[in-house]
Amino acid sequence: MNHYVELSNVSFSYPRSKRIIKNITLKLNRSQFTALVGPNGSGKTTLGKLAMGILKPSSGKVFICGKNSTEMTLGEIGKKIGYLFQNPQRQLFALTVAEDIAFSLEWNEHDKAETRRKVTNMLELFQLEHLRNSSPFNLSHGEKERLALAGIFVNHLDYFILDEPTMALDMERKQILSDILEKISSYGIGMLIISHDQDFVNQHADRIIKMSEGEIVYDSTNNLRP
Amino acid sequence: MTAPTTLDPRTKLVMVLCLSSLAVFIRDIYVLVGVLLLSFLISVILKGNLFPAFKQMKRLLLLIVVVAVAQSLFAPAGRTIVALGTVPILTTGGLIQGAEFILRMAVIVVSATIVATSSYREIVQGLVQWKIPYEIAFMVSVAIRFLPMLIEEIKDVMLAIQLRGVELQKIPLRKRLRIYSYILTPIVIGTVIKAEKLAAAMETRAFRAYPQRTSYMILKMASIDYMLISFSMLAFISVVIVYYMWGI
Ligand SMILES: Nc1ncnc2c1ncn2[C@@H]1O[C@H](COP(=O)(O)OP(=O)(O)OP(=O)(O)O)[C@@H](O)[C@H]1O
Ligand SMILES: [Mg+2]
Repeated sequence: MNHYVELSNVSFSYPRSKRIIKNITLKLNRSQFTALVGPNGSGKTTLGKLAMGILKPSSGKVFICGKNSTEMTLGEIGKKIGYLFQNPQRQLFALTVAEDIAFSLEWNEHDKAETRRKVTNMLELFQLEHLRNSSPFNLSHGEKERLALAGIFVNHLDYFILDEPTMALDMERKQILSDILEKISSYGIGMLIISHDQDFVNQHADRIIKMSEGEIVYDSTNNLRP
Repeated sequence: MTAPTTLDPRTKLVMVLCLSSLAVFIRDIYVLVGVLLLSFLISVILKGNLFPAFKQMKRLLLLIVVVAVAQSLFAPAGRTIVALGTVPILTTGGLIQGAEFILRMAVIVVSATIVATSSYREIVQGLVQWKIPYEIAFMVSVAIRFLPMLIEEIKDVMLAIQLRGVELQKIPLRKRLRIYSYILTPIVIGTVIKAEKLAAAMETRAFRAYPQRTSYMILKMASIDYMLISFSMLAFISVVIVYYMWGI
């Protein structure tokens, strides 16, 4: 099966609000780098959360690896898809940077030596070694974003949904993230990236989806990747 | 009745205090139902926002079962309704205890909607005019305002933990407690950071720079306020007296 996430006639509205997502049908393929773009408030984050099963559709269905998202626990979904919140602060909770990265490995019974190796790897990759023992709460915004990314990429999952991963990064760090994403997608791992960064999108995306006022107004599949 | 929504916040506080004290003291299920109905009535008259309160109570209904079974198991009383061999699982006594527990919670939830019909600014002013130091009144109002935010944050952390692929349902209870400790860290640190920011903001606006404070808002109690306060206190005292003379 090729579709990792499938939305079928999905509509959504927050409690006591108008419809934010209007009857969207969308198939997200594994091993494809998909970019989701659109103006502020068009519903990109909401669509991302629906695809992740964090929000449940008001009508229509969402399937993750062929399973209805309403029948899955969040923990189950977390083993299939890695999710980066638009505000990275919201997903950090451990006492130290290293502990935060190790969290999911520790709770899913990996052995200690391997966990340590993977954590060191991630610290290096995201240039966080010097902050290893700092509290995640005192990091700068860009550092938090890198830590949140490290915390989800430490799991070797098959799909990632990243909500504006480059927002707080400087040019140099953005390039590093670009290289990492390039490498990850070369392993055949799929991604849905929500972004306002035109260059970033053009550089990486196999497919660009554009949203406006809760609807998909453009969907491309270009295969012109170098 | 004269426009009841303009009641003094202090009148509402007194009424709510009486209602929730009754809810805590009284052990008679019929009186408790009466107290709850009265709270409802007041909230409706004052145009309280009852919808979220209903939703909260729907969740509480699940608790009634838990409390009832726990009571029946550890302090069996009354007739046994369901039993496993000789062990009573559900007794009428337990069921009543569970119902009383829920009624008490419901009174407190509905009372909160009564207080919430005044803005927090009015409540602080009310407390200040009752000669409660402004600092304390202010702290109370801050605490009230931050509570919903705290609840949001706890939900966020639970969400984040699970999205890292931790299936809470599959983790044994003993280890799950360790997971819950992860909730405390960001909450405590976040609260301290927020407090520091708030303190800085207060400094820049010269909080307590002068010993005397003037208020642009002065609350004045109307005769209906005096009447309602007297009546609430009278009703409260007589219920307590009557209840204890009959009850014991
Ligand atoms: N929790 C919520 N409750 C009610 N309305 C919400 C909530 N979250 C978002 N909205 C509304 O839903 C709409 C879409 O929001 P969403 O966050 O999905 O937009 P977005 O495309 O991600 O925007 P941005 O580019 O600013 O991140 C907005 O109008 C927003 O005000
Ligand atoms: Mg967004």
